[in-house]
Amino acid sequence: MSTPSTTDAPVPGLRSPGAGLVTLDPVHTALLRGLDDLLTGLATRLAAPEVLGPPLLPAEGLTRLDYFRNFPHLGVSAGRFHPEALDGLAAGEPPTDLPLRPSGHLLPSATCYGLLLSLEGADVGADGTRLSASGRCFRNETHYDGLRRLWGFHMREVLYLGTREGAAQHLEQGAEFIADLADRLGLALTRAPADDPFYDRGGSRARLMALDPVKHEFSAPDGTAIASVNRHRNFFGERLDISAGPTGPAHSACVAFGVERWVHAMTLAHGTPEQALHRLRDALP
Amino acid sequence: MERITAWLHERNPGLDGPIAPDEDLIEARLIDSMDFLEFIDLLESLSGRTIDLQTITIDDFRTLDRIRERFLKPSEAAKA
Repeated sequence: MSTPSTTDAPVPGLRSPGAGLVTLDPVHTALLRGLDDLLTGLATRLAAPEVLGPPLLPAEGLTRLDYFRNFPHLGVSAGRFHPEALDGLAAGEPPTDLPLRPSGHLLPSATCYGLLLSLEGADVGADGTRLSASGRCFRNETHYDGLRRLWGFHMREVLYLGTREGAAQHLEQGAEFIADLADRLGLALTRAPADDPFYDRGGSRARLMALDPVKHEFSAPDGTAIASVNRHRNFFGERLDISAGPTGPAHSACVAFGVERWVHAMTLAHGTPEQALHRLRDALP
Repeated sequence: MERITAWLHERNPGLDGPIAPDEDLIEARLIDSMDFLEFIDLLESLSGRTIDLQTITIDDFRTLDRIRERFLKPSEAAKA
C-alpha cells in the first residue's frame, strides 16, 4: 500500500460526541466525499441540476405529506428554549432539563421532502423535471450502530417529477446506475423490497406496501441498505398540487443514497478504510 | 359494484365521470394507501368472505374488472 497523503493523515484524539454522532476522520471524510462525487454521477447521467434543500422543514408541510402518520417516532424536532429559561442558561444552568418550545420545524429525515415542499403549486411540464441534492438527514432511532445507523447522516437523492412512465424510467436508470457503480467499487449488493420503519406496522400503508412494494433497497452483504429506489405514484403531486403539464398531478420517484453507509460498505468489502480509499481512487474517473 | 364505485368517488371527490373497468386503481391512487384496509373491509362485507392478505396479490385490486372477478363473483360452491 502506498503512503497515505497528508490530507489522509490520522488526527489524534477524535472521539464520538455521543451515541449516533461521529466526527469522520480524514480517511473516512475522503471516502465520503469521493463516494458522493461518484454518486453524483447519476445526476450527471440524467442531467439533474444540483440544488441545496432547506435545513429545516415546516411541520405543517410534513403533516400534509402524512409524515407523522407514518413516522412519528423518527422526527427530530427543532426547539427553542422557553424565554423563562434564558436567564438561567445565561447564569450557567445546565441546559439539558430546561423547557423547550417547538419551533414548528423539524430537521429533515430525507432529502427529498424539502425539495418537494419547495415545488408546491408548480407545473413541472409534460417533460418533467429532475433535481439532485445532498443534505444531512436526522432520525431518532432506538439504537445506533457505527456508520450503519447514525442520528444524522448524509443522504443524496436524485428526484424526478413528471409522468408515470417517466417516473418508472427514472427508477430503472437509477437501479442500473447503482449496479454499475457497485461493480466499479467491488461492492456486492442485493436488491429486495424495503422494510420501512412504519410506526404502525400493521396499518394500512404498511400492509399495502407489503403487497405492492414501492421501495426497493440495495444492501451490502451484512444487510446494510445503502441505496434505494422509491416510487411515490402521484402522492406528492396530489398533496402539493404539483402538476406535469395537462396530465394532472405529477408522478414522482427518487433514487436515494445513504452516503455514510456507502463508506461502511466500502470498508466492509475492502478490509480497512485505507484500502477502501485506494479502491475508491482507482474507480474515480 | 355500485358500493365500490360509490366508495371510490367518495374518497376521490375530484374525480370526474365514471371509473373505467380497466383503470389502474392502485397506480392512480384511487385506493389510497391510508384507506387500503378500509377498502378490504368493504370488500369483505360485500362478499361475505374473509380476505387473507397472505394469499392475494396487488393485481387482485388493480382494476374494477379484477375486483369483480376475484372477490364478487359467486364462488363455484355457491353456484352449485
